[in-house]
Amino acid sequence: MVIKVCVGSSCHLKGSYEVVEAFKSLVKKYNVQDRIELQASFCLGNCLQGVSAAVEDFGDAEVQESEQVKRTEAGLLLSHLKSDNTEKVFVDTILPLLK
Amino acid sequence: MELCLETGYTSLNHIGEELCGDHVECSTNGDYTTLVLADGLGSGVKASILSTLTSKILCTMVSNDIDITECVSTIIRTLPVCKERGVAYSTFSVIHVNKQGHGYLFEFDNPEAIYYHNGQAVDFEREELNVCGNQVFKSELNLVDGDIVMVMSDGTIHAGIGMILNFGWPREKIKEYLDHHLNHKMSARAAACVLASACNEIYEGQPSDDTTVAAVRIRQRLDVNVMVGPPVNKEQDQEHVARYMEGPGLKVVCGGTSSNILARYLHKHLRPSLDYPDHEIPPIAYIDGIDLVTEGVITLRRLLELSDKYVSISDLTPKYYDKEDGASLLADILFERSTHVHFFVGQSVNTAHTGLEIDTTMKLKLVERLAANLRLMGKEVTLLYD
Repeated sequence: MVIKVCVGSSCHLKGSYEVVEAFKSLVKKYNVQDRIELQASFCLGNCLQGVSAAVEDFGDAEVQESEQVKRTEAGLLLSHLKSDNTEKVFVDTILPLLK
Repeated sequence: MELCLETGYTSLNHIGEELCGDHVECSTNGDYTTLVLADGLGSGVKASILSTLTSKILCTMVSNDIDITECVSTIIRTLPVCKERGVAYSTFSVIHVNKQGHGYLFEFDNPEAIYYHNGQAVDFEREELNVCGNQVFKSELNLVDGDIVMVMSDGTIHAGIGMILNFGWPREKIKEYLDHHLNHKMSARAAACVLASACNEIYEGQPSDDTTVAAVRIRQRLDVNVMVGPPVNKEQDQEHVARYMEGPGLKVVCGGTSSNILARYLHKHLRPSLDYPDHEIPPIAYIDGIDLVTEGVITLRRLLELSDKYVSISDLTPKYYDKEDGASLLADILFERSTHVHFFVGQSVNTAHTGLEIDTTMKLKLVERLAANLRLMGKEVTLLYD
């Protein structure tokens, strides 16, 4: 699975750096380094709902959509990420996709 | 291979003085660049007037190929006489050289110029002339790619007198210092700053004399093409990118959307990095065949701050950039390495940024101010808007 955190101008101002750091430590904490590849992405076109991240390459598992989690052609689009809510999204949405 | 001349200088003011008694004047006339460093008697207003007059007069005359004897006698007959000292003068060094590296150096009472050649600080061969009863030294210049000529006011060799160095900083020691601290990649501006900062250290931040170092460097031309922002009309994307790719030199792109357009045009992947060498500046990215890919307006804003410092003649922060964030990498390419900069500016409005501190108007203003600073650095700048 690939998680691409948006580091475009708008998301950067809203805290991409903290979100990237949060994902880095979560991947370690839950010991899924070999299952998840973290990447950066320039603008994902979701500026007003930043910080955004795209989740791709996770097979055809079912996903519960919410305000923060939307299904897209390529995978998932995560919105409104912040340093303090990234872990919840990670545990509720991303970890189950690895099962 | 086309060679270019670049000039740069740094001045420290006598402690407590608002004005510097040293003055540097530069001009370019066709293939020739003329640089004059004058040091007026005393410090403060009087010194400043003397050195400004001297350098302006000399620079104008020399750049118009008037014989040096005539230039010097004009200076001597023109300068006002100091009431207290009964003399009127300002010492000076004149460099007059063309893009092929040929020219001459004239020196009157300033410390002897230093020639940085093949990684070593050496002396010029000097010929003594007598002009209107004054001893003036002439040196022929035959510079090759990478050479730097450094001229300075006596604040350099007097650095530390009565403080940490009893007899000042001897010129031979200055040369040794330059051997260790200059390298062939440094611009004229960076080299001048290296020596001036060292003097400031020796003065413990409180110069007891105006201290100025000026440098002329001969180097190869380097064009840098910078793409900033996508064009207003999407249909122009192809043409815009094609023009940008066409010219010689390094390719730099600033901005997420522009990078995407460029990657698509080149059929390459855009690979943003996850590393934050500076967490205030968004990470850079990579596109095969492109020399540098950065985010747009936040990076440019930092770059503008760096450029303001770079052009300030009294700023002593080192003029080379070893940090790895987007703005520092851009600064290295644009300030230190380039001679010609071509901006390809797209004025498309990014709706997501409207109302934020990063909107398009902001970006265009940044580019304009950056271009102005690059011109102050002596770069030739072109701006193309789409």
